[in-house]
Formats: sequence, structure tokens, C-alpha cells
Amino acid sequence: MATESSNGASIVTLKDVTKTFYRGKEPIHVLAGLDLDVPSGSFEALMGPSGSGKSTLLNLIAGLDRPTSGEVTVAGANLSRMSDGQLAKWRSQTIGFVFQSFNLIPVLTAAQNVELPLLLTDLGGADRKSRVATALRVVGLEDRMDHYPRQLSGGQEQRVAIARAIVNDPKIIVADEPTGDLDRKSADDVLTLMDKLNKELGKTIFMVTHDPAAAEKASVQRKLDKGALQ
Amino acid sequence: MNSATYARRNLSRRKGRTILTVIATAVAVLIFCAIRTVDVNFMAAVDDAMADRIATRHKVSITMQLPKRYIDDVRGIPGVTKATWGNWFDAKDPKERIPFFQGLAVDHESWFDVYDDMVVDPAQLAEWKTTPSGVIIGDKLAELFQVKPGDKLTISSGIYPGDWEFKVIGIYMPSRRTVDRNSVILRWDFLNNDPRAELVKDQIGWILTRIGGNSSSAEMSRAIDKLFDERDDQTVTMSERAFNLSFMGAFAAVLTAFDLVSIVILLIMTLILANTLAMSVRERTNEYGVLRAIGFPPKSIFGFIVGESLLLATLGGLLGCVLTYVLINLMLGPWLESGPMATMFPYFRTPPRVMALAMGLALALGLLAGLLPARRAAKLKVTDALRRVD
Ligand SMILES: Nc1ncnc2c1ncn2[C@@H]1O[C@H](COP(=O)(O)OP(=O)(O)OP(=O)(O)O)[C@@H](O)[C@H]1O
Ligand SMILES: [Mg+2]
Repeated sequence: MATESSNGASIVTLKDVTKTFYRGKEPIHVLAGLDLDVPSGSFEALMGPSGSGKSTLLNLIAGLDRPTSGEVTVAGANLSRMSDGQLAKWRSQTIGFVFQSFNLIPVLTAAQNVELPLLLTDLGGADRKSRVATALRVVGLEDRMDHYPRQLSGGQEQRVAIARAIVNDPKIIVADEPTGDLDRKSADDVLTLMDKLNKELGKTIFMVTHDPAAAEKASVQRKLDKGALQ
Repeated sequence: MNSATYARRNLSRRKGRTILTVIATAVAVLIFCAIRTVDVNFMAAVDDAMADRIATRHKVSITMQLPKRYIDDVRGIPGVTKATWGNWFDAKDPKERIPFFQGLAVDHESWFDVYDDMVVDPAQLAEWKTTPSGVIIGDKLAELFQVKPGDKLTISSGIYPGDWEFKVIGIYMPSRRTVDRNSVILRWDFLNNDPRAELVKDQIGWILTRIGGNSSSAEMSRAIDKLFDERDDQTVTMSERAFNLSFMGAFAAVLTAFDLVSIVILLIMTLILANTLAMSVRERTNEYGVLRAIGFPPKSIFGFIVGESLLLATLGGLLGCVLTYVLINLMLGPWLESGPMATMFPYFRTPPRVMALAMGLALALGLLAGLLPARRAAKLKVTDALRRVD
């Protein structure tokens, strides 16, 4: 896997971004004129009360959703102008996802779960296998390749999910409360792993969390309140 | 691993539900095959009718009789090679052991010339021609009555009172599988000379005619009917196939009802499949969100779901075909063919083409059942799918 170091250039830039949802006819202004710069190679934590729009912001950065207005530029691509199809392809190459509830596919083994994103590439079986093995080695679970999610602990499941997030060698990893469902010890393991991905592999990490101890691990802490960054 | 792995493994998630759905599909396929089998084998008798045999009956109704001298008129028409006649005897077993079989009173001189697909030993035929109280019976019926040539056979009739004593002279064998093997063939002159048949003396039920190779059955039918057009009793002549069909008029309605039932069953099968798919898809909404986030396009999600539906339908269809083969071709068929229903179904097996049709329909309907849930799942916004926590 390629290694990059923090070079200070922005990898994520949001300019005057607004996001408005509609509940029936009633508009909910979740983000209102938000600006954000995330330097390449940084590890950022985003905190804030429930309903403040953390997941909404994360979804915009990850190209899962488009802003109501404003510009979102991530890894050189202007996401506001991309079609759904273009976004999907872009995501598969640029973003690694880690979710709160692990979200592994229960009927696939750890290795098969990690292999999933590679099915979207042209890589042959042998290449996929070695990539999967590497990713599982990074998270320290190469001996659990053939285990199903139900045979793993919560912490192990989340580490498999992290292996899945890095197997495509994405530039950015987004994590929405990755430790929310874990006990302290497992949470610490996951956070140590994230730190290693950031420091050793140069991944830019953008993590939403409620947990102050988790936020501590990040190099930058941001706070979102009432649709604006503090 | 490939994408099919995922569709296949998904079937093992809710094993109970998968098994029930597969069984429901299999039962639908089985019922469909059973109904088609009744249809196909029934129509086979009709379709197997000899092309060069035409039948003439009273214009008003099959139950009305024709004067016997009509047969000589028919024999005089150019193009007619042979002609014979028969009367309905409505034979019954006086001990009521055998519920249904055919009794026909026929012209002993010409019947088996016209019906050369009922094969009788020449010596037995010759003996029958000199024995007025003799009968020739089908091989299956002989088995049911446990009689052999030389034995006495007592039969009653739904039309003529009392018991009728016959002597079994011979056994006829079918040369085609749709020939009824449960008929008792008695001599018309024997019936005609009996005082109990006084009312229909010198009258015949219907005329059967063999026509020469190059005359068309439609033309010959018209020629016969034209001959009797000015007489007291007018006739209707048609091909044996049409004649068989008119005999089965009532049953044809039953078949139509059966066909409707089989359509309803297939619809129910589709609904069961669609419901199973819809439940699974709803449970996995979040997972589809994850796959979409990773970069799988909507058409992949669509493919996973349709693939799963086709897989379910294939399993159900295959199991259904196996059940059909075992239950119909190995068990019910042989039983029907040798039992009391053999007159209706001298041959009762599900042909491979019916199973292939059932399999094809199961797949097509499986595809249909998967389309709606697949479309719905594929159209979901990624963020909405991810927010769904069921
Ligand atoms: N698709 C949507 N449709 C309507 N409203 C939405 C939608 N997505 C989010 N919202 C609303 O936007 C607001 C912000 O939601 P968001 O999920 O971003 O909050 P959050 O900060 O991640 O909260 P939490 O800490 O509870 O996860 C909430 O009021 C939510 O109800
Ligand atoms: Mg959230």
C-alpha cells in the first residue's frame, strides 16, 4: 500500500455548503453555510450533540449525498457536479467506510467481506487474495480469515470492517462513530488501529464520535453545533 | 468469491423461510404438472383419433337412433372403404365391483375391420362370428373381471333391464396406447333379437366409416350428411377427433376449470415468492446501503435480488419436477392405468415437455416476483438505506 505523509495541502474542501432536508413540506436546515478544510494526512474528530448534522456532513465528504448548495471538493474531485454513477465509482476508489454497527455481511467470511470492494475492480483472483491477506494482516486478523462475523467479537468485527475499508487503498477513511458499539478495550484497539492507518499508511481520517476519549486520539477536534463548525 | 456467492449465501439466512418458500413453489409446480397431465393425456385420446375414420350420428343428439338401413346407403358412397355401426349398451357390473367400463353392441362382421387398432386373434374372431352371445373384451377389463376366453360373464345395463349372460370369446389388445382397454364388445344382432331391446329394434346408435386415402374427411362428411338431408332422420358426420371431443363435452368444461385453477396456483406461487423476497429485502436494507456506499451500483443490488429470486424459483421448480416424477409417473400413473379409472386414462404420465414448461414458468414467475422488490431496493438513496436500522 502506498504511503503518503501529511503535506498540508487540503484533501477536503467545503465552501459555503448548505444541506436542507424536507420533512413533508417543512424544511430542516441541517447545515447552513459551512466551510471546512481538511489537510491531507490529518486525523480529524468531529463531535457535537445528537442531531447537529455530523452524519450529514460526513455523508457529503464521502460522496454519499450532494449539498443543497455550495461546493464540496474531495481529493481533487468536485462532488457537487458528479452523477450518482460517477460518485459510486469515485467512492469505490477514494473512500473507505467504517460504520458504527460494523455492517459486515453475516453470510460471508471475514476474508469475503474484505474482498467485497475488490469485486468492483479488474483485479484477478490471486491479486484479490493477496490484497485481502495484506489488509487483514494490517488489522491483525489474518488468522480469522475464514471466520464468519458471528464467530468474531465486536472489536474483531470492527477491525474486519476496517480491513474492508482499506483494501482498495483509499486516500480517505470516513468513520461514523466507529467505537459507539464497543467496550472500552475494543474501542481502544480500534482507535490504535486508526492511528496506525493515519501515521504509517498516511490515510486521511475523518471520524465522527461522541466519545471524548476517542476524539483525544485525533490530531484535530472539531465541534458541530446548530449547523455550524465551532 | 463472486457476486453470485452473495446471492446464493443469502438463501441460507432464514433457512426456515427459504425451505417453506421452496416447498410452496414445488407444490405449485406439482399441481400445475398434475393438471397439465390430465389435460395432455385426455387430449391425447382425441388427437390420436384416426384421420381416416369419420363418425355419423343423429343430427339432434347422440342419444337418438338412426335406422339400420342407413349403413347400406353409407357403404354405397364412393370413397367409403368400410363402414360399421355401434349402439351404446351402458354396461354395468351387477356386483358393482368395477365402477365404470364401456359396453358397445356392434356389427360383428365389420367392427374390427374398421377398428383395426383393436387387435383380436383371428381364431377368436371367427368363433365370435358364429356365437351370438359371445363378447370380445379389452385386456385390462378381462384382468379386472378375472375372466378368460370360454368363461361366462354376467353384465347388466343402464338401458336394458335384467342381467345379460355372455360368453367371453376373445380378448382384444390395443395397438395404440390411447385405445380404451376396458370395453366389452357384444354383438348387435344379439341385442336386436332380444325382446328387452324392442324399442330400438333395427336401429343403430352411430355409424363409423373408413375413407379412402385421397378423400378428405370434411368432404366425405358432407357427402354422407347430404345423402340423408331429405330423410326423416338427418345426420351429423364429423372426424373421429371431433366426435371424441363432442363425447367429452362435459369433461372439457372441467378441464377448462382445471386450467383456471392452475393459473391461480401459479399466481399464488408468484405472490409467495414476492413476499419472501420483499421480507428479505426489507431486512437487508441497511446492508444494501453499505454495499452502495462501498461503490456497488444500483444494478448490482437489483441483480443480487433478482438472482436470489431466480435461485429460489429454480430450487422450487426442480423439487417440484422431482415430486411430479415420483408421485405421478412412478405412483399415481401406474395406479390409474391399471385401476377403475383406466377407461378415462389408459395412459397417465407427465411428459417431460410439461415438466420443462412448469420449470420455465417457475423461472419466469420467479423473475417477475423479484423485479418489484429489486427495483425498490435499487432505487433507494444510499443515505436513506444506511439510516434504516430495522
Ligand atoms: N434523509 C433525511 N431526511 C430528513 N431529515 C434528515 C435526513 N437525514 C438527516 N435528517 C435530519 O437532519 C438532522 C441531522 O441528522 P444527522 O444524522 O446528520 O445528525 P447527527 O449529528 O449525526 O446525529 P447523531 O449523533 O444522533 O447521529 C436531524 O434532525 C435528522 O433528523
Ligand atoms: Mg449520526
